[in-house]
Amino acid sequence: MRLAGLPIAMLLLAGAAPAQQVKWNFDKLAARASDTVDVSLSGSLLQFATKFLSDDDKDEAKVKKLVGSLKGIYVRSFEFKKPGEYSAADVDSFRAPLHSPDWQRVVGTHSTENGETVEVYIKSEGKGIGGLAIIASEPKELTLVNIVGSIDLDSLSELGGHFGIPEGLEVEKEKKK
Amino acid sequence: MESFEEELRSALRRCEPSPDFAERVLARVSAAPVRRAQHPWVPWLAAIAAALLLTVGSLEYRHYRGERAKDQVLLAMRIAGSKLNKAQKKVQMVAHRSNS
Repeated sequence: MRLAGLPIAMLLLAGAAPAQQVKWNFDKLAARASDTVDVSLSGSLLQFATKFLSDDDKDEAKVKKLVGSLKGIYVRSFEFKKPGEYSAADVDSFRAPLHSPDWQRVVGTHSTENGETVEVYIKSEGKGIGGLAIIASEPKELTLVNIVGSIDLDSLSELGGHFGIPEGLEVEKEKKK
Repeated sequence: MESFEEELRSALRRCEPSPDFAERVLARVSAAPVRRAQHPWVPWLAAIAAALLLTVGSLEYRHYRGERAKDQVLLAMRIAGSKLNKAQKKVQMVAHRSNS
């Protein structure tokens, strides 16, 4: 793992590009997975959902604030019965759309202990983040997250500790190879 | 046997109606009282009830869709958060190792 010393807030300087959903093809994996989670919320549905997030509930209020400016949330998680049900080539195919100059890999972690790999990509847009993508793979699980839209880092920071989101996400930047 | 057949033939022979048959039928039809709803407000009440049912149904469906979308948002944030958390922990662990 190679990490340089810039906090994530420094990533907000790159050029603008219209925010849009990452095009991933899940067909092969879906057929092999034993369990699948599929969350697909486009802009209008997302805005509709925020109306049902309570302002009185502390956690929901923070999520509401965070997702208010988003244009889409897409999550796909595949669970497999045994290791080796998906290949490195499958994971590579998910990385491919993120190899464009718009995207930058900010974190890449790998654990030899449990074979877990997490990669975090950020799409810069204007003065903010225009999108976030996560590819997380474990021997029996593969998860892909794509958040489209301007992510308010203050709101993200406020969400620290809630729903497993870390406090003040000060991850460091890895230069794109 | 023959007489029976004669009777049958006679009974079933073609018989033309009288010339004013059609007029008489039409006259009786127009003279017959038209059956109307006992209460004129019944159709209105039925329409209002249907509209109300439709409104309540669509509101209920909207609420169901909203709650479902909300659950999906919370699930998505939970999954995204947990993955970020793992990455952050790993980064912190490596940073801690390199500092010590």
